[in-house]
Amino acid sequence: MHSKIVNLNTNPCKMCMPMGAVSAFYGIAGCMSILHGSQGCSTYIRRHMATHYNEPVDIASSSLTEEGTVFGGEKNLIRGLDNLIKLYRPKVIGVSTTCLAETIGEDVPAIVRGYLESRPDCKVKVITVNSAGYSGTQYEGWFRALHALVEQADMDAAPHNGVNVITGPISPADTRALKVLLNGTGLSCTLLPDISDNLDGKHGASYNRLPSGGTPLAEIARMAGARATLELATFTPDGASPGRLLEEKYNVPLTRLNMPIGLRDTDAFLRALENLGGVIPAGVKEERGRFLDAMIDAHKYNALGRAAVFGEPDLVYGLTRLCCENGLIPVVAATGSNCPPLAAILEEEIRPAADNVLVTRFSVLNFADFDDIERAALENGANLLIGNSDGRRLAHKHSLPIVRCGFPVHDHVGGQRIRLLGYSGALQLLDNFANALISRQESVFRTEIFDRHHPALRPEKASTPFGPESLTAMSDQAQTHGKTRPSLQKSFAEKTRSHPCFSASACGTSARIHLPVAPDCNIQCNYCVRSFDCPNESRPGVTTKILSPREALERFVRVKAEMPNLTVAGIAGPGDALANFAETAQTLRLVREADPDITFCLSTNGLLLPLYAPQLIELDVSHVTITINAVDPAIGAKIYKHVSYLGTRYRAEAGAAVLLSNQLAGLKLLADGGVVCKVNIVLIKGVNDAHVENVVLKVKSLGASIVNIMQMIPVRGSAFENFTLVSNREHMALRKRCEVHLPQMYHCQQCRADAVGLLGDDQSIRLREAVAAEARTDAPVGGGALRIAVASRSGVVVDQHFGFADQFYIYESDGVSTRLVEARRISASKASCGMCGEDPGRRGNTAEGMGKIAKALAAVADCKAVVAMRIGDSPSRQLAEKGIAVFSTYETIDKAVRHAASKCAP
Amino acid sequence: MCAQILEERQESIKLAADYKAAPIRCDAASVSGAVSQRACVYCGARVVLNPITDAFHIVHGPIGCASYTWDIRGSLSSGSDLYRNSFSTDLQEKDVVFGGAEKLAAAIDEVMRVYAPKLIFIYCTCIVGVIGDDVEAVCRNAERAWGVSVIPVKAPGFSGNKSTGYKMACEALMQLLLPHKDQSRNNGVNILGDYNLAGEMWIIKSYMRETGIPVVSTFTGDAAYDRLLRAPTARLNVVQCAGSMMYLAQRMEEEFGIPWIKASFFGVEDTSAAIRQVADLAGTPENRRRAEQLVSRESARVTRLVAPYYTRLAGKKAAIFVGGGFKAISLVRQFKEMGMKTVLVGTQTGRADEYEVLGKLVDPDTVILDDANPAELESFMREKGADILVGGVKERPLAYKLGIAFCDHNHERKHALAGYEGVENFTREVNLSINSPVWRHVRG
Repeated sequence: MHSKIVNLNTNPCKMCMPMGAVSAFYGIAGCMSILHGSQGCSTYIRRHMATHYNEPVDIASSSLTEEGTVFGGEKNLIRGLDNLIKLYRPKVIGVSTTCLAETIGEDVPAIVRGYLESRPDCKVKVITVNSAGYSGTQYEGWFRALHALVEQADMDAAPHNGVNVITGPISPADTRALKVLLNGTGLSCTLLPDISDNLDGKHGASYNRLPSGGTPLAEIARMAGARATLELATFTPDGASPGRLLEEKYNVPLTRLNMPIGLRDTDAFLRALENLGGVIPAGVKEERGRFLDAMIDAHKYNALGRAAVFGEPDLVYGLTRLCCENGLIPVVAATGSNCPPLAAILEEEIRPAADNVLVTRFSVLNFADFDDIERAALENGANLLIGNSDGRRLAHKHSLPIVRCGFPVHDHVGGQRIRLLGYSGALQLLDNFANALISRQESVFRTEIFDRHHPALRPEKASTPFGPESLTAMSDQAQTHGKTRPSLQKSFAEKTRSHPCFSASACGTSARIHLPVAPDCNIQCNYCVRSFDCPNESRPGVTTKILSPREALERFVRVKAEMPNLTVAGIAGPGDALANFAETAQTLRLVREADPDITFCLSTNGLLLPLYAPQLIELDVSHVTITINAVDPAIGAKIYKHVSYLGTRYRAEAGAAVLLSNQLAGLKLLADGGVVCKVNIVLIKGVNDAHVENVVLKVKSLGASIVNIMQMIPVRGSAFENFTLVSNREHMALRKRCEVHLPQMYHCQQCRADAVGLLGDDQSIRLREAVAAEARTDAPVGGGALRIAVASRSGVVVDQHFGFADQFYIYESDGVSTRLVEARRISASKASCGMCGEDPGRRGNTAEGMGKIAKALAAVADCKAVVAMRIGDSPSRQLAEKGIAVFSTYETIDKAVRHAASKCAP
Repeated sequence: MCAQILEERQESIKLAADYKAAPIRCDAASVSGAVSQRACVYCGARVVLNPITDAFHIVHGPIGCASYTWDIRGSLSSGSDLYRNSFSTDLQEKDVVFGGAEKLAAAIDEVMRVYAPKLIFIYCTCIVGVIGDDVEAVCRNAERAWGVSVIPVKAPGFSGNKSTGYKMACEALMQLLLPHKDQSRNNGVNILGDYNLAGEMWIIKSYMRETGIPVVSTFTGDAAYDRLLRAPTARLNVVQCAGSMMYLAQRMEEEFGIPWIKASFFGVEDTSAAIRQVADLAGTPENRRRAEQLVSRESARVTRLVAPYYTRLAGKKAAIFVGGGFKAISLVRQFKEMGMKTVLVGTQTGRADEYEVLGKLVDPDTVILDDANPAELESFMREKGADILVGGVKERPLAYKLGIAFCDHNHERKHALAGYEGVENFTREVNLSINSPVWRHVRG
């Protein structure tokens, strides 16, 4: 795994403060939010919330611009408040700041004071929150908003018998369940906030865009007179705790409780309610009994769980405690927030549970990102993820089950209805944990047991859905390249099927191109004359034009355009591909860029193979042909005149031995690297004809997969000029004999080094001419085709004024078919400054306007007709004077052009 | 016109019939407090660049910007997955006081040591300029030290709207390409403005392959560093989403002399036109012949497949609210083909000339709006009795609350809407939502 990057957050496990603030404001009746900052903050947050809650989420923005950033955003914020009030008629507005507003030092409370002073009739309560994104996460933002509400609302301290219940970020469904519970106790409770309706709405005949559910402002005011506050959050920072504020300012005693997740914390919460005089409904007691039953039912499944739990501090703490109660060990407990007290308290919780089942490794992570969580989850052997849906990527990557809870849940529906709180919430959650573990076990236990006892038979592991180059694999790239290449291995087989030289069935359908970029050779064969192409691969007679790598690329691209069945690009000399390795390599690289799917092959005498085999593999060469005429230096010495290797020219047996050892070593290197190797053997009567079978056996043992035995064609001027050809019958008999060892290539055509096309249908001469033509001509396609200029924005429909056009589509048409010749730019000037020519009184007299029309007229001078959506009188007249017909229409270009052409036809 | 329109918004909303009198107000800053559906400059830049699969995308700023854009778009990759991570300098209070440039520089050094990417983008968010970080200097130094491309993307959210972000991304791409200006030209085309959502770039490329036109580079769907650098060798730029990539096409024409054409691969008619035009401009008569074969085969196939749906959709009313004008135009035309009437059409960042085309295309009583807000969408969809809304995720819950069907045309979708198969998907999706039994029950 790659090492940790400390200066970056890699895959955040947190969001920003404004997110938390606006979420809390969604729990206030008749409240709208405006973010003081640039437009994007509100839109991103809306998108994030809308996907989780599946509810319309409307959050305004003061839409700060450059000017506002430099000179202050007061004007923007004031206008924003005005507009928001007009559109939504809210009772409360929450103004939350963003990074930008805080950084430029906006004094939002002062702006709001001024705003309300200048609008004495305004009855809207405006609450301001400092929520710079860099000062905390959504967790702190949530509490800051609640704190601001209690601090800035017009509080009513008249004592009453009610109880305040304040929650951290919980789901609408949990909020609803909590309300039902509180109502059932007979206590008069104020729940702050209450997002149960606003973020999990009902479908009805009417839709009210103002969130009208939630805690009313009047009830918030009365919180100052309550006899107690329960704050269901363990880690609320004191400065942002609404409960603490109520206690300090209004003497309402605060009891801080854990979020009631799981048995102990739900018990504690109910006890606290009882202590305040509440009556626990009988139904709740039944729920508890049922939950205990469920804990027992699932305990053996949960005991196998090793969870990575992540999210906001309270959530992580609650989930951790639930897990530990049930013997499910949280081997990772992580929050993205910076919450220093969390670590010690989590450790205290997890340690005994882990000891119990002899688990020694677990990690508690504060201020963590998903990179940290991934690392720890893998190290500690997590088999279950519990948290928001941002963990789904980890889940996919490492095939881990994930139980979604918290915020956000983007990849499932019903995020707003996930339950955690109380006995019933915990019961659901516990079932989900156990079921995730059960289905994982169910899907793997057979194969796991089988694999353990039959290691040799283990089938190939399926690749992860993230593909081979996932984040963790990145740094191991070099390693992966060198050794196992499973994806390539697989595609080799596929490529071989479409390679005309390696597969007889492909030779009629798949075309290949040989790119002659390698003129040099480092050995001298006695059957070869260097002024001709190498007869190993090519018929003698025509010397190939050598191409530069770039020319080769151009030829490839042009041929590919003509032949979509081109599947193979090869380098076959005309010398030895490796003797010009630099050119060969560059050509391959260029072609690969142009066509990621093309199969590469290459042919060589093999002398330099040990040197370049690794690089050929790196270059993705999947097929290599090596010409090995003998595996005995004594016979080789008769075939090779000399061999030039690393600056020395070897002759006779020494030369043949050098060549042979390199050929064999090279063949093995390639074959081990997964390259498909074909061995060519030039059959020379009286020299190696009796030895060919030995060659085949030897190359087979080194990994060659096909052999091509070719008759030597005696070349005039070569040492073997007067040798007799092996007869076809002898040739076929030899192939048959060797076929028992290795497949034989029967369909070889001994093609040229610049061959193009299907085997047996060499197009090189014809295409060479096509290749020479750099650009095609602009001459009309057929007789009688007329040139027509079209004003179009879309390029599909005639949808532009003649005078507005900054380009014309120049077509040719004979009235039946059409051909686009070019998209002709009129000038480089911007499109928007044109004029339509329709109203010369308005803009037409300006020099710019005249220039534009004149340029447009010049641009169409060679056309017979102009087709535009609209055209002014003056340009229309001027065109007529030049004999250019004008058609004004709103039609698809194709139809309009054909129509114009048929009208203009002589 | 109906209520619920802010005075400042009046000029951005028109009936098509009134269009001739005066153009719609567009391409302007959003009205404060109006609850615009637009995002910001950073968003525009991120959208355009993020599909570059093997680049290291670092968001320089506080965490939110990175958090909300982590892998939210359905751009697919045939190679690296690096772009699906979210990297942020996660600026803290102390960084805002003392500056974040050092942290950024240190981060780049770490990234080079651990990942060694060939290309790094640094997105500058709102506060980066305000706190005085000289990001360009950091990038220059890093380039010098590591010999790779480290490119700043100037995208503070407040410096314009999403279109400004597109332009900033195009500038960043030009900065990447300019040093590779001198390459010989070959026969292929670049495809600009497709982001390979749900594999759409692959669909377009398959058409090019069948036509015999090589694709050199793609901007930026399924793009990778090495392929991007080859872009100056293309003969023609094919610009799909004109809103985001027009500027790049113009700059490439200026610098590399590559001509461009606009093309749309949405709808049968547009797709066919695009395939033919590219074959004409970048190919030979043989390519055009093959294009013709492809077009007639696929048009016939798709027409046959969608015909049974059309009888179920005829007469239904559509509302459209999408990002750019180009897409809106395509959609109006597609609905026409389906026998549906567009009763409302709006965009976040459409341009005047696009709105003019829209005005021509739709019926006189169709409402056209720029940078609409939820209140306006709600009022007009109700007033016009829309049966379906085409939009993005933010608009979906609104449509549902109003009991209106919905079609995702946003960047998170998992099904392609481009090309001929996109027409099938689109028609099927419109039908399955409009004609779902749930409406009968919830209304009944």
